[in-house]
Amino acid sequence: MGLWIQIEPGSSQPIYAQIVAQVEQAVATGELQPGDRLPPVRGLAEELVVNPNTVAKAYSLMEQGGLVATRKGSGTFVADPATRSADARDLNQLGTRMDTIISRGLSLGLDDTALRNMFRERLARFRRRRRRAKNE
Amino acid sequence: MSAIVVENLVKCFDRQWAVNPITFEVPRGSICGFLGRNGAGKTTTIKMLLGLLHPTSGSSRLLDCDSTTLTPEVRSRIGYVSEGHRLTRWMRIREIEQYRKSFYRGRWDDRLFAEMIEYFELSPKQKIKQLSNGQRAQVSLALTLAPNPELLIMDDPTLGLDPVVRRQFLEGMVHLIMREGRTVLFSSHILSDVERVSDRILVIDGGVLRADCTLAEFSGSVCTFVLSFDGRPPETVPLENALQCRRGEDRWEISILKCDELALRTWAEQAGARAVQQRRMTLEDQFIAFTAPRTGRRKLFSWEDRDGMA
Repeated sequence: MGLWIQIEPGSSQPIYAQIVAQVEQAVATGELQPGDRLPPVRGLAEELVVNPNTVAKAYSLMEQGGLVATRKGSGTFVADPATRSADARDLNQLGTRMDTIISRGLSLGLDDTALRNMFRERLARFRRRRRRAKNE
Repeated sequence: MSAIVVENLVKCFDRQWAVNPITFEVPRGSICGFLGRNGAGKTTTIKMLLGLLHPTSGSSRLLDCDSTTLTPEVRSRIGYVSEGHRLTRWMRIREIEQYRKSFYRGRWDDRLFAEMIEYFELSPKQKIKQLSNGQRAQVSLALTLAPNPELLIMDDPTLGLDPVVRRQFLEGMVHLIMREGRTVLFSSHILSDVERVSDRILVIDGGVLRADCTLAEFSGSVCTFVLSFDGRPPETVPLENALQCRRGEDRWEISILKCDELALRTWAEQAGARAVQQRRMTLEDQFIAFTAPRTGRRKLFSWEDRDGMA
């Protein structure tokens, strides 16, 4: 268990967004559990060799989105995903990303059933990973 | 109070404008990337900031002290790395340390300097002239960080350095900024380095300051759209804030500043575009779109040229 963030400057995704995406993924796979503590801003900035304000921006975006919560004086913790609620904009963005995947699938010649099955399979895998991480 | 305050700074060389009136501030606590193409006026500006070059008009202040009358006390709180890491060649590392230390009374961190030299696998006995470019840059970095500067100004510090030494400079900047109230201004052409460590950027172009904002504001305001047409695309693009626009056989590629997407899509529809797609851009793409020549129908090199030649 733990957090392994890797950033790639010079990509079309800003560094703060890369940090958010990776924490999101770690929470989705159970690598990070609700209540787990994120490294302090300065520590992570020094480790990744990025500006501390960039890390702080990622943390504040995650806090706004309800992914993490900050407790005064004790740090930033992963929030319980059950308490999160996606708004229309979140759903819209998610839809756009799904469109990219669906286009790719269709262009590979997969039909609806094949795509649906694949989606179910991957979803189940996330569930298994989360369960395993919880039991560890 | 900002660490750097520049007001209407101008420099003329032989009736040539090197720096047109520029005005900006660098707030304390930030790492500011100073960007611009070769000859844009970065070095001239930096030299004026440090009082090494007299401005034609206008003024600048570092740590609340006028650049033209920096006192030794204020200078001891400022670190400066000139282009090319010029160091006195005949000195040994130990000697150059003693020499530099004499300008930074009470501020010099002997342990930090020794640790850095050891980490770089150098010996205090080595002479500067026997060092490689990378090693000379490492000594320069140690000399720059040892006095724990409140303000650090570096002119293209990573030019020509290998990736390992380049990363050490970035680590040095991030390390310094962790301390309260430290400020860094550095120029560079390596946009991925700038993206890593800066939170603000300044873009100078032909002696004119064209951007002074946070990195996020800059990357949020330059975007590129590709408009595809079934027939010949229209001759001109009547859009405000258009930066670089390139016309191809059946498309317009339009880079635009603070894009009014509705206006763009409305025009695209009227002009008969078949599709409008937004292109993903890296910071480097954005910098190129921002500073490249505005006009020009195609790229410098293009496949379309080949057809003409055949």
